[in-house]
Amino acid sequence: MTVTQPSQSQFPQGSSSAGHAQFCRRTRREFLWEAGGGFASVALTGLMSGDGFLNSQAFAADGVSDFPNPLASKDPHFKPKAKSVIFLFMYGGPSHVDTFDYKPKLYALDGKTIEVKTKGRGGEKNEGRVVGPKWKFKQYGESGQWVSDLFPHLATCADDIAFLKSMTADSPIHGSAMLMMNSGRILSGFPSLGSWLNYGLGTENENLPGYVVMLDPTGGPISGAKNWSSGFMPATYQGTTMRSQGAPLIDLRRPEGMSQAVQRELLDALKDANQKHQASRAGNSELAARIASYELAFKMQKHAPEAADLASETKQTQDSYGLNNPRTADFGRRCLLARRLVERGVRFIQLYSGGNHNDSNWDAHGDLEKNHNFHAGNTDQPIAALIKDLKSRGLLDETMIVWGGEFGRQPTAEYAKGTGRDHNSYGFTMWTAGGGVRGGTSVGATDELGAAAVEKPFHVRRLHATILNQMGLEPNRLSYFYGGLDQKLVGVEHTEPIHEII
Amino acid sequence: MPFTSCFSIRQQVRQLLFRGMVISAGLWLSTVAVAENNKVPVAQNAQPVVDFTQQIQPLLAKHCYACHGPDVQEGGLRLDQSEQAFKQLDSEAIAVVPRHPEKSEIIARIISKDKDQQMPPEGDRLKQDQIDLITSWIQQGAEWKKHWAFQPPQDRTPPETANHKWVKNPIDAFILARLEQKGLSPAPPADRVTLIRRVSFNLIGLPPTPEEVDQFVNDTASDAYERLINRLLASPRYGERWARHWLDLVRYADTNSYERDGIKPNAWRFRDYVISSFNQDKPYSQFIKEQLAGDELDQVTAETIIATGYYRLGLWDDEPADPLLSYYNELDDIVATTSQVFLGLTLNCARCHEHKIDPIPHQDYYRFMAFFHGLNSYGTRSDQRSFNQTDITGPEISALYARYDEQKNDLQKKMHVMEETAVKKMSGVDQRRSETPERAKLLKEKLGEYLEPGQLKVYQEMQAEIQQLEEQRKQYPPRKMALSVSRSLKEPRETFVLLRGNPHVPGEKVQPGFPEIFGKIETPVPSVPKDRQTSGRRRVLADWIASEDNMLTSRVIVNRIWQHHFGRAIVQTPNNFGQLGVPPTHPELLDWLALEFVKGGQKFKPFHKLILMSNTYQMSSQHSDQADAVDPANDLFWRFNMRRLGAEEVRDSLLAVNGRLNLKMYGPGFYPLISQEVLQGQSQPGKGWEDSSEEERARRSIYIFVKRSLVTPLLSNFDFADTDSSCAVRFVTTQPAQALGMVNGHFVNRQAEFFADRLLEETGTTHPQFVKRAIRLAYGRQPQAGEVEEGVRFIETLIKKHSLKEKQALNYFCLTILNRNEFVYLD
Repeated sequence: MTVTQPSQSQFPQGSSSAGHAQFCRRTRREFLWEAGGGFASVALTGLMSGDGFLNSQAFAADGVSDFPNPLASKDPHFKPKAKSVIFLFMYGGPSHVDTFDYKPKLYALDGKTIEVKTKGRGGEKNEGRVVGPKWKFKQYGESGQWVSDLFPHLATCADDIAFLKSMTADSPIHGSAMLMMNSGRILSGFPSLGSWLNYGLGTENENLPGYVVMLDPTGGPISGAKNWSSGFMPATYQGTTMRSQGAPLIDLRRPEGMSQAVQRELLDALKDANQKHQASRAGNSELAARIASYELAFKMQKHAPEAADLASETKQTQDSYGLNNPRTADFGRRCLLARRLVERGVRFIQLYSGGNHNDSNWDAHGDLEKNHNFHAGNTDQPIAALIKDLKSRGLLDETMIVWGGEFGRQPTAEYAKGTGRDHNSYGFTMWTAGGGVRGGTSVGATDELGAAAVEKPFHVRRLHATILNQMGLEPNRLSYFYGGLDQKLVGVEHTEPIHEII
Repeated sequence: MPFTSCFSIRQQVRQLLFRGMVISAGLWLSTVAVAENNKVPVAQNAQPVVDFTQQIQPLLAKHCYACHGPDVQEGGLRLDQSEQAFKQLDSEAIAVVPRHPEKSEIIARIISKDKDQQMPPEGDRLKQDQIDLITSWIQQGAEWKKHWAFQPPQDRTPPETANHKWVKNPIDAFILARLEQKGLSPAPPADRVTLIRRVSFNLIGLPPTPEEVDQFVNDTASDAYERLINRLLASPRYGERWARHWLDLVRYADTNSYERDGIKPNAWRFRDYVISSFNQDKPYSQFIKEQLAGDELDQVTAETIIATGYYRLGLWDDEPADPLLSYYNELDDIVATTSQVFLGLTLNCARCHEHKIDPIPHQDYYRFMAFFHGLNSYGTRSDQRSFNQTDITGPEISALYARYDEQKNDLQKKMHVMEETAVKKMSGVDQRRSETPERAKLLKEKLGEYLEPGQLKVYQEMQAEIQQLEEQRKQYPPRKMALSVSRSLKEPRETFVLLRGNPHVPGEKVQPGFPEIFGKIETPVPSVPKDRQTSGRRRVLADWIASEDNMLTSRVIVNRIWQHHFGRAIVQTPNNFGQLGVPPTHPELLDWLALEFVKGGQKFKPFHKLILMSNTYQMSSQHSDQADAVDPANDLFWRFNMRRLGAEEVRDSLLAVNGRLNLKMYGPGFYPLISQEVLQGQSQPGKGWEDSSEEERARRSIYIFVKRSLVTPLLSNFDFADTDSSCAVRFVTTQPAQALGMVNGHFVNRQAEFFADRLLEETGTTHPQFVKRAIRLAYGRQPQAGEVEEGVRFIETLIKKHSLKEKQALNYFCLTILNRNEFVYLD
């Protein structure tokens, strides 16, 4: 995999934004000039960031030439806590007051119309009819974390989980909110979190994609591939959709009638012709890179199905993920596959719970109980199994699990009748576990109603910064030069990770 | 990694080069060469003329800007602007006194031994040769030269060269002079097969047929090559190829992105407009004016209206969380695209604050934006057409439709009000349903229950009326609509500087105006005929950009043309000519080309011919160890760069060689077959992706429907342009997904089968003939010694050893032919 970079990328050297005036530290501009008078040289720092680039040469077809692989493993900024991230995306927006954000006073207000500021797809409102939480909450574990009855299995992992109960986002509308959770912006066209990790760290296993997305059987999330796009970065860094049944990757399966031996014959003939072609064309190593890419593809055909082979797991493991139950089988398979990918060095894995539109995901506008019982019921056991399985294999410490949707839901009803709740980006809950995150903690809080974050509000950017940080990347340093600007996942303002949980 | 010094980076570059790695990104190396050049004059000559932009500015930027630059001005000193550097400071000292280094505070401070005085206060001190350089510069008058791009192009005389014979036109003189300075000579001329393939792909994006190759190879007339160029430039395929370069720049797509990724009706007319503009050889100035102000020109035609689709191609969020912000994001997209595409300026960097690198104040952004402030947002959720569709059918038919629209809308509005009163009485679940595609079904089922009988009757009557209107409408002649600017305001909104770019915090009011770097130019007051419904502001901007005197416009476009002929531009950041851009490798040539383009009436075709006729273009891509050691990135053009075909070229070639390419031009886009597994990534798998016939699916790639959230995989695999913002240079990646698609993918396998079918028809089943013809069709050239035998052996191995049927073996042979590097790389 080689890439010609028309635009420029880099890990900027130099200081944090604070204090350069006093200390005359090098700023980015200085660095640019220093490196040779223009930003061109910056491309070089990006591509050669750390020694990783030069050290991790992939094989080349002729066995002699180097093959610069932009996905080759790169050194992080500092020693990472986590090697992989599994992002369990509860698409549609789970209701925090019904899941993890316990609001005892809300029950009694059920049916009462109260003054509360909300903003959702139904616009801005100043009052609404309260829908009391529909599930009971209990405290679990030594840490006594509150979890509702929706998650009996997950509740047993409470001591491994750090809850973020004061998340905020910029948009209460699915389209832009999805983009924000995945790429940090409400605008289309920016690279997604997984692309940033792919770009910053490369992959540990060249036979598998570094950034894998697994979708719900009902379909992708709205905006589809925009959610795992690499935006203005090369397509090399974009997410690859993977399936737990059938051919795991697109175009991985040989065409019907082409045996492996025939394919090998074909690739050998191709390699032979390509090497003859290359022989008279010195100084064009892209040709060698392309030859190598065919060999890499051939290896992926072997490795990806092996990684996706869940049958090799014990019955006990399969059952623990709920593969024996039609309700949990699908999400269970994907969770189990996620664990297998983590074991094989895949950096970023995103699993969608819910797809398509309306009640096919957590978007409970009509009947809250029916919706959340369904989606929680499908995912509770598999997620708990994933945490426990990783833990028992000693992988939880290096695998950061993130759970949440693109926003939460309002404490009040959306319509005159029924229990449906509208979107809420003023305050919602997400949680993380593993990857150096302090389990059994809870930070931030929403108001008594759960309408808005009031204590330590954490913008989505803070979550992104935390993930980058756990993966060994300084969020304010990881940048990519595009459109005349140093683009960062966390935006232009200095953004700190959430120190309270790490 | 820790701070890497310039030196070690250069070391690493050398390592890379000696390892013979892939560096098509010649851009890195140019600056290294520049940096090294800096040292040469000092060492060779005690009193060289110091070049401010190349030698002094980098030093100031590196050592001083952090505390005395655009962000911070300690002690009131600012060293990134001349006026500031020459003025008396609070301390009464003057940093730079031209011709008097001894009076210049900057020198005193950098040589000071006093810890409290010395500059920079921390970090590396300046080296003696650097101090000498600054001293000499001040002694020579401290000329504060403007950035090269912010001065008008100069009239350049082509330089003298030793090797006169090689110089076919002035381009060669500029190129050769630089090569000779470095003791290099140009690569030998390319052979004729290479040349015809190169120029065919370059001009029409398709390979030449074996017959065309033979004709050219055997044409002994001295003007054979010129006639070839003439033929290609006259081909309608030319517009289809070059239009795509423009569509990359203006972020062309057929949909809006976001949740619904809704269709932009009639966007394809814009695509067709661009194709036909190139085919007509429309002058660039006219092309600019039509796109930026097609609705404000003296002569407004259907074509100029279609051209204003330029403004409607961007992203649009139909359900914005903050509508005001969303509107300003749309304007920002227009400012960014317009300034980068036409002027090579990143004005967008000044949205929230002063541009950090270029002298573009915060106000400039808003003055520029004010030209567009009469534009409305693309649409609203409930009205996705009024602001972006114009009827181009003609007044009479338009009037018929307008009346129909009005009556129908009126009825629908009334009905909607009644529906909503009923819906509000329904259950929560049904209320939710009313907001989904099930609404119609719901209303049919339950509306009766929730409306009073009298109301229901009125409702049903209106329904009948609509039906009647629709029946009438079916009798009308068809209406043509264009994606375009529509209902632009005659009195544009007032424009304010937005503090930190926040539309909710307006600052001072500004008027439309050109960026300051162009000097203090009076911005003409727009004048529009009374019968027009727009302000004429965009016309003012368009006239100024399209003017022959605009110092950036012509340089920016000739740089792009050069880029698409040579695979890399003279300024390798074609959308950014500012100080963060890469300086031109051949500044004089760039100026000369720009003025030549203007002299020629800003026409593309003669300009292509000028470049293509040069010996520089006709060089081979042959490697030279000697040249490689001096100029490994080929910044000096000592050879022609090999090039990987672009996404469209790969796909179109597959169809061209198997004879299935459907050359139907223009019209709505078609939908290639996309596998179920890819469609599964959509929230409603298959939605918005229609069926097209096999014949339609064999059309050229430029006619593929561009859905922002579902880019055709074969195209995106081969680095199709990003659809969301201006793409000046496409990536060229090599990755296994390409190989998987090319070996296992349905499309390529299908094309290989068709290729085998064609060959069987033309050559019968004699395998040597089959192989020979395959090679000729795919690569143009004759087979090499042993090549046919090898192909035959491969086919026979598949048949005998692997027991494949003959057709299957031939299909797979064709698949290898289409997968070879030679198929996707041009010499």
